[in-house]
Amino acid sequence: MTTPAAELVGVSQRFGGFTAVDAIDLQIPRGRLTTLLGPSGCGKTTTLRLLAGYSAPTSGRILIDGDDATRTPPEKRNLGMVFQSYALFPHLTVADNVAYGPKMRGVPAAERRRRADEALDLVGLAHLGDRKPKQLSGGQQQRVALARAIAIRPRLLLLDEPLSNLDARLRVQMRAEIRRIQSETGLTVVLVTHDQDEALELSDEMVLMRAGKIVQSGAPRDVFPAPADRFVAEFLGYENFLTLADGRQAAVRPEHLRIVSADAPAGEAVAFDAVVRDVAYRGVDLLVTLEATDPGGHAVRLLADHRADTATGPTPSAGDRVRLLAPEARLALLEPDPTPTEGIS
Amino acid sequence: MSQTVKQGASPAAGHGTSHGMRPRHPVAGTLAVAGYVVMIVPILFVVATAFTAGSTLRFPPEGLSLKWFGEAVAYTPFVEAVVSSLELAVLATGLALLLGVPVTLAIHRGRIPGKGLLEGLFLSPLVVPELVVGLALYQQLMIGLHLDNFTTLLLGHTALLLPYAVRVTGASLALTDPALEEAARGLGASPLRAFVTVTLPMLRPGLISAGLLGFVTSFNNVPLSLLLQTRDFRTLPVTMLDYVQQSYDPMVAAASTLVLAATVVVAVIAERTVGFAKIFGGINR
Repeated sequence: MTTPAAELVGVSQRFGGFTAVDAIDLQIPRGRLTTLLGPSGCGKTTTLRLLAGYSAPTSGRILIDGDDATRTPPEKRNLGMVFQSYALFPHLTVADNVAYGPKMRGVPAAERRRRADEALDLVGLAHLGDRKPKQLSGGQQQRVALARAIAIRPRLLLLDEPLSNLDARLRVQMRAEIRRIQSETGLTVVLVTHDQDEALELSDEMVLMRAGKIVQSGAPRDVFPAPADRFVAEFLGYENFLTLADGRQAAVRPEHLRIVSADAPAGEAVAFDAVVRDVAYRGVDLLVTLEATDPGGHAVRLLADHRADTATGPTPSAGDRVRLLAPEARLALLEPDPTPTEGIS
Repeated sequence: MSQTVKQGASPAAGHGTSHGMRPRHPVAGTLAVAGYVVMIVPILFVVATAFTAGSTLRFPPEGLSLKWFGEAVAYTPFVEAVVSSLELAVLATGLALLLGVPVTLAIHRGRIPGKGLLEGLFLSPLVVPELVVGLALYQQLMIGLHLDNFTTLLLGHTALLLPYAVRVTGASLALTDPALEEAARGLGASPLRAFVTVTLPMLRPGLISAGLLGFVTSFNNVPLSLLLQTRDFRTLPVTMLDYVQQSYDPMVAAASTLVLAATVVVAVIAERTVGFAKIFGGINR
């Protein structure tokens, strides 16, 4: 097994009485894209800043390439950081921004220029080297920040909410762009985000954080269908929470609840009766709000997507008595959660 | 400067002038014009009397002549005083910036307790009457420690200029993204190199405006310079004051006009190179 690109061992960060990061252990796999995902205040950005060396942990150790870097200042870590604000130097041209890192490393002028061109080329901005950052759009500034971080040939590329300042369309484009750059350069990337779609689409490995702790980690394909607890499930967009007949908690997504007529057979699915309260038309489907008593005997409010063209059964309307089917395979069983509602903000 | 002067000249104008040069409020507009008149007209009288051919400081001037300018430039006490004033203003401004910038950085970027107290301390020379400061310096430094009067004056003026250095560069720093320095560090710059290559260029407008304000404040200062003068070291304002008490000829007006002209030249250069909006933009935080 190869050494992880970076490793946090029992790392805590306290600011006064507030514990931002609480004794976390984390390994960043080499050459992969890892996302730190969680709501604001969960400690993900603090973790990234600890990794980058912008603050020192209250306790614990940080290893980079297997070497202890806990007290190494940022300028000696050789990590490429892209800030949420991009932090481009406004008094320097785009090319000089990108060449800044090589310059600080004593790379001769001609070689600096070549490296800056190369990095700008990678992000598709080779033609804008003479501009000042102010003259670029937000998306272009973001690419310059990426190029600047890559130009130092970093051991890790750290991205702090890199897409949060872009509009929705550009954000989706840049996801593909980040993936492309990661696979072309083979860099180890750590990306902080609060957007679960972004994390699912980008990650090789996703790390979910809450209140300074890691609550679940793994590949998106493993995490998404099997959220560990209600917090993770809510964060990943599970809308419906049920108590099963045996008392266990389960989550199910609106697109996996089937609405059938009240007398339809249950088959392999968990079935229970419900009353339709509201139907909202959304083009491709209907979003149906229902009230039901779940198999555990609790009254619940549920959301179900109903595709009129593919789903069998009647088109629901408010007041209808129907039967809901939740296929066993689609039920995500949850760990009992000590504090079920805290954490989502 | 237009904005600063406008606000300073007509505080009563309030929101009426906030929409630019064309006031929508007739009352506010009138007050603004009155403000300009009150400030500028007396200066015009001084300038006009400087060109007189007569021998008294009187308006209207009797004839037109440049002779008082010649007299002023040839009058040794004035020439020596100009040199003294420049020397003092330049050194005090430099010292104030040299001390003020690290203090500003500590206040804005440092992790130190009692930042508010520190900032208050460095702004306090604005509040304490200068005569008191001057007397204190006279007693403690000149009498007590036997420092010469130039050193004492330099220390006094530096203290006087510190608030400008701290406040104005601080305003500049507050507008700068703290992530810039972090980015520089991450890219391999030592703290000192990050400061020189990134923070300092960001502070340039603030440094220039603090420098200009400081220079003008020191050059024009009377209370401190008056209390701490000696026969061999006097600043220009003190020398002119002294002169006016003894004779009332137009040479003082000529000297004042020259100082005014020099100030205008400095202002024009500043406007052309950096721009007032940028220089003084920092003050109205």
